[in-house]
Amino acid sequence: MNIRAVAVLFALMALLLLGAAQAQDDIVIDFYFPSATANDAEGIFQRYADMFEEQNAGISVNPVFTGSYTDTRNTILTELQGGGAGPDVAVMLSIDLYSFAEEGYIVPAQQFIDAMDMGDAYINDFFPALLANGADEAGNVWSIPFQRSTPILYYNADLLAEAGFDAPPSNNAELVEIAQALTTEDRDGLLVPVAGGFPIWMYQSFAIAYGQNIVGDDPTEVYFNSPEAVAAVEFLRSLGTDLGVGPAGGAAWGDTPTAFLAGQAAMIYHTTGNLTRILSGADFEVGVWYLPSGPAGEDGTGYGSPTGGGNLYIFDDGSKSQAELEAIWSWVQFLSSPEIQADWGATTGYIAANATAWETEPLASLAMQYPQYGVARDQLQFAAKEFSSYATITIQGIINGTLESILTGEAEDAQAAMDAAQAQIDSILAEYQ
Amino acid sequence: MNPENRRINALVNSVKIAIAVAFLIPLVFTLLVSLRPEVEPVTKGNIFFGSEITLDNFERAIAIAPWGLHYLNSIAFVGGTLAVQLITVTGAAYAFARMRFAGRSLLLLILMLQLMIPSGVLLVPNFRMIHTLGLFDTRVALMMPYWGSAFGVLLLRATFREVPIELEEAARIDGANLFQVLRNVYVPNAIPAYLAFSLVSVSAHWNEFLWPFIITRSEEIRPLTVGLNKLIKTTDQGAFYGQLMAGTLIVISPLVLLFLLFQRQFVESFARSGIR
Amino acid sequence: MRISPPRKPLLLSLQPYLLIAPTLLLVLMFNVLPAIRTVNDSLYKPARGLNAAGKPPEFVGFDNFRDIFDPAHYMGARFTRSFRNTIVFALATVGIGVPLGLMLALMLQHPQPLLGLWRFAVFYPALLPLIGAASIWSFIYSDSIGLANAVLKSFGHPGVNWLGDRNLVLMSVIIINIWKQAGYFMIFFLAGLQNIPRDIYEAAALDGAGARQQLTLLTLPLLRRTLLFVIVVAFTFAFQTVEQLQALGEGGPADSANLLLYLIFENISERRNWGYVNAMTLVLIGVVLTFTLSNFLLFEREESDR
Repeated sequence: MNIRAVAVLFALMALLLLGAAQAQDDIVIDFYFPSATANDAEGIFQRYADMFEEQNAGISVNPVFTGSYTDTRNTILTELQGGGAGPDVAVMLSIDLYSFAEEGYIVPAQQFIDAMDMGDAYINDFFPALLANGADEAGNVWSIPFQRSTPILYYNADLLAEAGFDAPPSNNAELVEIAQALTTEDRDGLLVPVAGGFPIWMYQSFAIAYGQNIVGDDPTEVYFNSPEAVAAVEFLRSLGTDLGVGPAGGAAWGDTPTAFLAGQAAMIYHTTGNLTRILSGADFEVGVWYLPSGPAGEDGTGYGSPTGGGNLYIFDDGSKSQAELEAIWSWVQFLSSPEIQADWGATTGYIAANATAWETEPLASLAMQYPQYGVARDQLQFAAKEFSSYATITIQGIINGTLESILTGEAEDAQAAMDAAQAQIDSILAEYQ
Repeated sequence: MNPENRRINALVNSVKIAIAVAFLIPLVFTLLVSLRPEVEPVTKGNIFFGSEITLDNFERAIAIAPWGLHYLNSIAFVGGTLAVQLITVTGAAYAFARMRFAGRSLLLLILMLQLMIPSGVLLVPNFRMIHTLGLFDTRVALMMPYWGSAFGVLLLRATFREVPIELEEAARIDGANLFQVLRNVYVPNAIPAYLAFSLVSVSAHWNEFLWPFIITRSEEIRPLTVGLNKLIKTTDQGAFYGQLMAGTLIVISPLVLLFLLFQRQFVESFARSGIR
Repeated sequence: MRISPPRKPLLLSLQPYLLIAPTLLLVLMFNVLPAIRTVNDSLYKPARGLNAAGKPPEFVGFDNFRDIFDPAHYMGARFTRSFRNTIVFALATVGIGVPLGLMLALMLQHPQPLLGLWRFAVFYPALLPLIGAASIWSFIYSDSIGLANAVLKSFGHPGVNWLGDRNLVLMSVIIINIWKQAGYFMIFFLAGLQNIPRDIYEAAALDGAGARQQLTLLTLPLLRRTLLFVIVVAFTFAFQTVEQLQALGEGGPADSANLLLYLIFENISERRNWGYVNAMTLVLIGVVLTFTLSNFLLFEREESDR
């Protein structure tokens, strides 16, 4: 082999390598995220993207802010239906699964987990309740928990102590008793934020506490007119009417924590996603406890809340290369790693989704300093699936509209309104049998 | 002054003050709330000033979005839309006002369809069109659906028809071509109509949210309304009114200050131009 | 006197078409063709159920229209409310906003002390993006910590749920739009008033006409064209601007303040509802057409009367 041939060979190899490097450089991950926090989510994601790019040469991440959860879902669907490319990865509500799976826009994470060396260890590190909404009825994992939350009871411990209550309520009867004792002319005893477009989530916790979740494991199972479901909404309505411990029609979502911090509400139901804000903003002792159990159960047996928040979804219509999909999966894995979950949880207040994250800094020290974080995590053992079914958007719309008309007093007969809604829901779900 | 007029005058003055106060309250409280600590809603403590004055809300609001960039983007959006509109509208208005050609009424009718089918209603098909043209996430995509304006054509057509035809004939005799006729005869005689149209166009697109939100993804081209949406949708954590008010002030204050400084010139010139 | 007009060169005879071509093309692309497609699509229901994604839509005639006007149907319940709200909203914002704008112009047309302040006070809302205006009002309307209720409470009233009470929420939204637009309309009226010669008033005053007669007999008739212009603009805005709902409870509770365009926006994302979305879009077009066309016919007749 002469010198020239070697030179040509080297040159070719160099070109190939260059070409390969070029091709790797070309992998750009479009990452869409909603901002549901008051933090600078864009800045945080840019920081994560920088960290990730440093560890993964040849992949770059392009974070795009897409509004609220609803805005994000609508933006992506409009883009994909209009022939656009859409994101590669997006944070969307865990309950959006069927809206995207039905259309064939997303692929299950299961195939990537199966291909991992330590796939079982990775997925089993997540709290089981947080995986419920991301998996289909056959147990395939589609989306990975990222910014998760549950509703939880916040109480003003100072006010409770003044009135002689040394423990938070553990069932609905105690809840009402304490709330009534703490209701004054300029203070509500209990605010449950069911006004403002999305009552279903808070309502679900009452339905669960009454003993019957409104959704089953299968995406065709909805139980919106069961006796428990009706009793739950009637109890919720009575808080603002007969019992008089909060505003008629329910409190507005956004105002509830602000009123609590201002001392104008003794107890509130709200998301654990608000824990950091409330702990740092309160000038009184903030107590956090499991949502009280319903009337049926003994103490501790009727606990329960739906899970909530956003998961990571992987978009592919079958056109993406193996290399691209691997890059996408490594970004998902990065965001769901204990290190990032610990950082994200500590910064925002979302429940870090995997057990190891709770032993990782900065979350480990924070949870030590504020035991309230641990309560949010421990309530997960009682948590149930958040409402999600086929045709989720439409069916949720029916449920939300029905709840709002019952809570605002427009529909006086809750049972009749819920029967009508269930009939509409059944006729939609019949298409999927 | 007769007694009736005097009575009317007194009434007018009190109504005027009442309206001005009512209209200003939102602005005043936007400012006050933006300067209060976040944990102190107006219901707590002094309704006006709270316990202390702080710039925390502004610091946080500023950090949330590149406001300067959004501002420039909004200006580019409304300015670019208007600039092209003025050209397309002038030509079409002249053709419909002063030229005879086959199918004139039919074409005018087709144009008028735009008034009845607002493009805002057609989000999905318009998205598809922009995507087919390969313009998704570009400045052009933002503006393009608005570049043709039937409203502007009708408004200017009516104005052009009032320009004495003799002026055009005189210019033509002097050898002016179409462009010169438009520039020297029609445009100067229609300034009020142009102003009115510009005001309508600019204020409509300055408000635009849904279309820019759906058709853009890059911060580099997104307008103010999309930036502001970030502060509104802090949904998981509820309302941060201090921060929201600070952000709103950041968004509105340049224009409001400009108007405050130049309101006389603005209103007077607009009024003097004699829109009818 | 010309006996036979010279043949126009081709380019010259094409000139009018070239002049209107850009506008026409854009209107065809972004309004007419999508609308024709909407008419067609409104007669179909997308495939539903499992594995529907690849299947063609089903022709259903006018079923989509029947469903959206059926209050027992899930979409009909939402549509009929939003439809009614849209009409009420348009009539109220135009019916109150335009006269208010006219009144402001009449009060603020002459030099007077603090004129700049008065005009600023009523015009600045027009400078705000609608979504910014709505976020300001979301604070005023807030139930437990808002300004409006703080004031009511200081007078001993328990306060009302501005955005949570189904009977109040549409009114709350209407108030914002009137506040935002009255000053904007005022500007057009100020311009129109400037055009009325002063000596007409002097002559009328000499004939003994009082302020009220001057207003009803002189000012209003002479402002007719401006009035029509403003009404056209006001209706156009009323049907197309729904961005305030994004910041104000998204049309709830139970759609008691929802508007048609926002309902359409809310539903474009679920494919199963596309038939309804298209049907609702056509109804909205019909409503806009009715209002705008009748206004424009008046406007055009006014033109030809002159």
